[in-house]
Amino acid sequence: MLACVPSLATAAEPSLVEWTQQRVIAGIVKPLAERSGRSLSRSRPPPHESRVRVPQTTLSRDAQGREFVPFAVDIRYGKGKWQTDTVGCAYRTSGNLFVKIGDAYYPAVLLLGKQVDPVAAVCQSAAARS
Amino acid sequence: MHAPNEPSERRLKRIFGLWTARAFLALMGLGSALITVISLPYFDFETLPPFVIEKLPLRFEALWLGALRIHVAAAALGFPLCLLLMSRALQRRASWHRFLGRFTGGLVACALLPSGVVLAFDAKGGLLATAGFLLSALIIAGALLIGVRAARRRDLILHARAMRHIVGQMSVAVASRALIVALDALGVDPDVAYLWSLWVPVLASAAVVEWLSRRPSVFPRNRVQFNERIRRESFPFPLLVRIRARVRAVAGNGG
Repeated sequence: MLACVPSLATAAEPSLVEWTQQRVIAGIVKPLAERSGRSLSRSRPPPHESRVRVPQTTLSRDAQGREFVPFAVDIRYGKGKWQTDTVGCAYRTSGNLFVKIGDAYYPAVLLLGKQVDPVAAVCQSAAARS
Repeated sequence: MHAPNEPSERRLKRIFGLWTARAFLALMGLGSALITVISLPYFDFETLPPFVIEKLPLRFEALWLGALRIHVAAAALGFPLCLLLMSRALQRRASWHRFLGRFTGGLVACALLPSGVVLAFDAKGGLLATAGFLLSALIIAGALLIGVRAARRRDLILHARAMRHIVGQMSVAVASRALIVALDALGVDPDVAYLWSLWVPVLASAAVVEWLSRRPSVFPRNRVQFNERIRRESFPFPLLVRIRARVRAVAGNGG
C-alpha cells in the first residue's frame, strides 16, 4: 500500500550536513546556551557566536557497522578568531551525540552536567581503527 | 591660613574613608553571598557544574573535586567572617573578636589555603594562573602568620595591617569575577580576560592595603594612642562610661 504512494521524502529531507547541524544545534548548542548565563562565576562566559561544522559529507561506519557523522562546534568571542570548542559525532539512526574529551568519547549530555562514563569504540570509523 | 580649615578637612577625609570602608565591606559581603549561591551546584553530587566540565579531563578528578568543595565551603564561611572581623562593632568586643578570629584563622589555614593550593595546580590559564593563585595564597599565609604573632604581642597596628592583606586577597574572589564579566562585555578573549582578572586584583589589593597602611588617617602612626583607643573601646561597659561622663559634664556645668 505504502509502496504506491509517491515518495516526496528525498526532496524535503535535509542533506546529511544539514541534518547533523540541526541535530547538534538541538542537542548541544541550544541547551548549552540556555544553561549558561553570564554570572559571577569563574567558568568561561558563553560564546558570543557559535557554528556547527561538518567536515565530511558522507557517512562513516564504526566497528559495529553503525553510521555516524563527525562534527565540530566552533565558537567566537567578540570579533576574535573562530576556535574549535567541541568535536564529536552524531549517529544517523539513533541521533545519539558523542563528544570528545581528552582521548575518550562521552555522551553529549556530559556537557549539560550529567555524570556519564566514556563510551568505547564510538565515533571511530572501522577503516581508521583497522 | 590653612590651619583653621585643617581639622574639618581631616574630618571630611575620615568620614570619606569610613564610608568607603563600609561600602567596600557591604559590596564584598554581597559579592560573597552571590558567589555562595552560584557555588551551591558544586554540592549537587549528581550533576557537574560548567566550571568542572570545562576542566575535564582532570588528572586527579576525585582529589580536585574534593578540594573544590572544601575550598568553596571554607570561602563561603571564611570570607563573611573576615568581613565581620573588620567591623568596628566586633573589634570593640575583644573577646568575641579573638574567638571568631581564631576560628576564622584556623579555617583559612586548615581548609581554605590547602584546598586552594591543590586547585591552583590545575588552574585554567596554565602556569601564569597557577602562579597568580599561589602568590595570593602566599600573601594570605604570610599575613596570617604575621597577624597572629602581632596579635599575641599586642601589636594591633601590625595585626590590623596583616589582616587587611587577608581580606584584600579574599576580595580577589569577588573582584576577579566582576572583572571577568566586564571584560567579556568588552569582547575580550576569555583566556586573556581570565589571567588579567586574576593578576590585577591580586596585585592591586596588596598595593592598596600597603598604601592605606601608610596613611595616618586609616592607621594612626601613634601606636600607643591606637592601642589605648582599642583598649578603651573594648571595655565591657562603654555605654556606662559614656553615660557617666555625660552626667559628670552636666553636673559640672550646673555647678
